[in-house]
Amino acid sequence: MLVNTYSKNIFNMAYQFAGSYQEAEDLTQDIFLKLYNSLAKYDFKRNFSAWLLTLAKNHLIDQYRKTKWEKKTRDDFNEYNLSSEAFENPEEGALKEESKKIIWESINNLPPEIRMTVILRDIQGKNYNEIAEIMSLPLGTVKSRVNRGRLQLAKILNKKKERKNGM
Amino acid sequence: MECEKIEELLSPYLEDELSLEEKKEVKKHLKTCKSCSVLYSFMEETKESLADFPELEISEDLLDRLYSIPGKKKRFKLGFDFLLRPSLQPVLAATIIVFTLISFYLFNPNKHHIDKSVSRQVHLGYSKIETLYAKAASFADSLGEYKDNILVSLKNIKLFGGNED
Repeated sequence: MLVNTYSKNIFNMAYQFAGSYQEAEDLTQDIFLKLYNSLAKYDFKRNFSAWLLTLAKNHLIDQYRKTKWEKKTRDDFNEYNLSSEAFENPEEGALKEESKKIIWESINNLPPEIRMTVILRDIQGKNYNEIAEIMSLPLGTVKSRVNRGRLQLAKILNKKKERKNGM
Repeated sequence: MECEKIEELLSPYLEDELSLEEKKEVKKHLKTCKSCSVLYSFMEETKESLADFPELEISEDLLDRLYSIPGKKKRFKLGFDFLLRPSLQPVLAATIIVFTLISFYLFNPNKHHIDKSVSRQVHLGYSKIETLYAKAASFADSLGEYKDNILVSLKNIKLFGGNED
């Protein structure tokens, strides 16, 4: 039941955060193990989904600190990351895919807390209140982290595109 | 407004979360500042790209691994997992040996032969103990005699104030 409902969400969160398919599978398994060990501690007043995502977030950030993934590269931008959207204009499609590739590769440049906030907001589409609950942070801090993350990625995108156009 | 201040407002501007006044100010700044305007367009592109990452399906292998977790946990739920502690293993091994010997004795068809043999061994052991006990008693007696003789001899030596005769 828990696996059916939440495994896909947790796996995607782990994959977007770690950037490695294999690593994301192992992390998902670890998170479910932790979940079964912690179920007794679950406070029924809390939203279960937010509680589980908090547990997943804590595990991902802890593992990041232990293993220092920032030194590792993310999986190649491949068929997993390509959008299913069909573009009428192939040139526009290619440009969009190029931006996505740069963004995908740049996510590891973000510090873990900011990375997680941006993933929850912009990839998973959660609202700020949900993110504040998952991250256990005030709303203002969450908004400021999302802004900082987006700015950092936008600056990298700008720089890389400028470099490419200057060649 | 300075560019730094504008940077802080770009996300709320993008998500239409600013007051009318702030919105006007940001709009005005973006019209006049090229670097902020470029940054804003890249921020829009970033947000769009991030939202476009597809949600992946999880593999069958991972699903199998996840389904097997609650089963693994149930095995330990009965509260007997302490029996698997390494420190208890010698005790468990000794218990198994004792039970094996007892069952070997109880279910053996020649049980009365074993009884006889055990009883003979017990009697033999008992008689050996009795003999040893008797020997020990006679040894204690002879030690007592030696002690008395030595005491008498010492009393008779002049050096200790005794009579040499």
